[in-house]
Amino acid sequence: MSITLDQVTKHYGGAPVVNDVSLDIGDGEFFVLLGPSGSGKSTLLRAIAGLTGIDHGRISLHGRDVTHVSARKRGVGLVFQNYALFRHMTVAENIEFALRVRRMRARRRRERRAELLRLVALEGMDERMPGQLSGGQQQRVAVARALAHKPEVLLLDEPFGALDAKIREELRRTIRQVQRELGITTVLVTHDQEEAFAMADRIGIMNLGRLLEVGAPHDLYTRPQTRFVATFLGAANLLLARRTADGIQAGAATLPTAERAAGEREHEVVAVVRPEEIELAPQRAQLTSGYLTQGMVDEVTFTGSLERLRVLPQSDSGGTLLADADGEARAMLHVTRSQYEQLGFAVQPGQTVAIGVRRLHVLPTPLSSFTACAADEAGAEALGRQPFLAELAARMKTRIALRVEPLWDSGAPARGADHGFVGITVLAAQPDGARHARWLLDRGATDVLLLPHEARAPQRVLIHWTQPSARAATLAAAASLLRHVAAEAVYLGIQPRRDDGAQPQGMRALLDARAEAQAAHGLDMRTELRVGDAAQELLRRLAEAPGQMLILGIGAAADCDGSLQPLLTGARWPVLLVRR
Amino acid sequence: MAALPRLFGADAPRPGKHTWRHSLTRWLFIGISLTFLVAVLIAPLLTVFAMALAHGIGVWLHAFSDPDTLAAIRLTLLTAAVVVPLNTIFGLAAAWCIAKFEFRAKSMLITLIDLPLAVSPVVAGLVFVLLFGLNGWFGAWLQEHSISVIFALPGILLATMFVTFPYVARELIPLMQQLGNDEEEAAITLGAGGWLTFFRVTLPKIRWGLVYGVILCNARAMGEFGAVSVVSGHIRGLTNTMPLQIEILYNEYNFVGAFTVASLLTALAALTLLVKSGIDRAGYRRR
Repeated sequence: MSITLDQVTKHYGGAPVVNDVSLDIGDGEFFVLLGPSGSGKSTLLRAIAGLTGIDHGRISLHGRDVTHVSARKRGVGLVFQNYALFRHMTVAENIEFALRVRRMRARRRRERRAELLRLVALEGMDERMPGQLSGGQQQRVAVARALAHKPEVLLLDEPFGALDAKIREELRRTIRQVQRELGITTVLVTHDQEEAFAMADRIGIMNLGRLLEVGAPHDLYTRPQTRFVATFLGAANLLLARRTADGIQAGAATLPTAERAAGEREHEVVAVVRPEEIELAPQRAQLTSGYLTQGMVDEVTFTGSLERLRVLPQSDSGGTLLADADGEARAMLHVTRSQYEQLGFAVQPGQTVAIGVRRLHVLPTPLSSFTACAADEAGAEALGRQPFLAELAARMKTRIALRVEPLWDSGAPARGADHGFVGITVLAAQPDGARHARWLLDRGATDVLLLPHEARAPQRVLIHWTQPSARAATLAAAASLLRHVAAEAVYLGIQPRRDDGAQPQGMRALLDARAEAQAAHGLDMRTELRVGDAAQELLRRLAEAPGQMLILGIGAAADCDGSLQPLLTGARWPVLLVRR
Repeated sequence: MAALPRLFGADAPRPGKHTWRHSLTRWLFIGISLTFLVAVLIAPLLTVFAMALAHGIGVWLHAFSDPDTLAAIRLTLLTAAVVVPLNTIFGLAAAWCIAKFEFRAKSMLITLIDLPLAVSPVVAGLVFVLLFGLNGWFGAWLQEHSISVIFALPGILLATMFVTFPYVARELIPLMQQLGNDEEEAAITLGAGGWLTFFRVTLPKIRWGLVYGVILCNARAMGEFGAVSVVSGHIRGLTNTMPLQIEILYNEYNFVGAFTVASLLTALAALTLLVKSGIDRAGYRRR
């Protein structure tokens, strides 16, 4: 491995800007770090270069631990967005700087300089001053300068940011060519997904300081694992659908999917439909793909090779459209059609069309939607407006449904198991929150979020499960939540106290849990081992500092009655109960 | 819409177009500026040279043979030679840490650097008298060890240093903030150490600003009157700098002597400004 990052964390004024990032970049790989501004990607690049120190974790270059090695001894080449050429030196002096520092002979320096200028196609520019060059040429000089000392790793920090479109493309090609020719491991930081697709062998997508997903461009586009990646890489329509025994049921259509988990019971899922995977036809019968619903064409835009449409689906259709690419409230399906499709069926705004789906991809997230549940309508509405919940729903691009359950005060017995609770059921945390949670769990709810009135986005999320059977589900829920919250994840493994003094087995379970979180969900969490009563230890940890949240996995509804009850009463912190 | 250009016609005042109103405004402003310049700056300066040379070049030259005057010139040059390098080093250090690092007392430090510009030089001189004078805080201790600060060279140096403190730093801080850190960081990733980065990257980058600041600092150091006047004690041939010597000569009705020294001081200042404008032009060309 060329570059190995192990749990790299960097805080800035208390908030994590790079949060527990682990990553391996192979020899000769062109890796692109992609993310919106403020996602921590540039900070991570500077940390690899050694210009920014890290608070936690390790960085290795070619197997050499460089965490505490200064930037000048790391042997990396760095290219800045605004070139950062030495403006009082000529092009030749700029390129030879690293060689001069290393006291290389003048003749060898000249040879190397000629070689580098040929590489970036700037022969004969030796005696120019940087001010006399165009932006594209200056950036070429910067690349040549960064490569002069034959670094093992080339780092590029938004290198095309200050250039116009045409030069950008040309320089992109040059850099890719240079990289192939030298076979040098390269990391490029950008916020431009087109750039990432065009250049990368692999892309790593960052948001809120976390590295969400890593993969080949095609895999990330067709099979994103998270809502953020689905919507950040290209346009995506997010649908609420149901996973049934036959496949994915969205609207009237049931689409068989290759990605099937056997033996799962029917539940709500979030599906991604790319705009080009939607088919339009005048009548349902003329669709060649699975029929989703009827819709009205709202807007048609011609963009040359493609036609972009926005279609408003009929509201009484079964599949719920969560959000379109713009995340607008009045959700529209985004559709793109090729010229070939346009010729087959021309549409006008206002026209009613049948909508079909060729392919959809189900996100593996267990957190599909929120249902704010209260004893009366006003209570449910107030809960739906709770700032943390509203922010979370907006970030997850999902909706908050409202539900009134006046029954729980009457103590009516549970009638049957399934009362149609889907997604996460949200409750206002009250002194008797534990009883309400129990009531919901008895009636088929699987994920219950107890939310104190004044809860804010947590700084730290504690994860614990009381039954090993709840482990996988709890980890999945935690990973899903933490992708949308910039918080530190801590798994608390708690061993019962043993009088015979035998060595507890906890360490092994702890490491297993961490490995699974990392492998299955890309979630890096810290682990802590405690000895004692689980509820007591959790209470103690939660009471230590404000701004904490608990994700608690339980095996059966009855679990939340016993010793765990103090955790759920009192409304001091948000608790997400995951029952499996 | 087509009627609009015809409506206003070709004579309408437009930016960038010479009309009679435009040129009138221009000459009016040039006239006001020139009148002020002549009345307030050039006439007095010419008077200095006219008075100095009123009795011929021989008398002018003779005035320099006065040992007290020569001592004043020597003291002034010595003061500048000591103060300017020290303030340059301080200014560089202060600008460096303000531009490169984030720390809590940063804005306070910037304000403190400006303090000498705001405080009257006389007050600055008095502060040193209060500190190091015979009845001052350290006065007794200094006398025990027979070190004289006030009414001696150290006092003059301290007072001048205080007054000229901000010039280099003030010049460099905005420049270094504007230029940023990228070039230094690039140099470091290329393998350069701290000193090498400073001398090969930072110093060349800021050299024009630095020279400019040094020149302003020098001009002020040679011309300072108020603060030095308080601490020097006006001992002829010992603690009189050129500005003080001019005042003494003038008060003794030795007009030729006073104006002779004044003309030399003015000439030094003019020379400084000439060097500065030359550097301005050179710096502009380089950019």
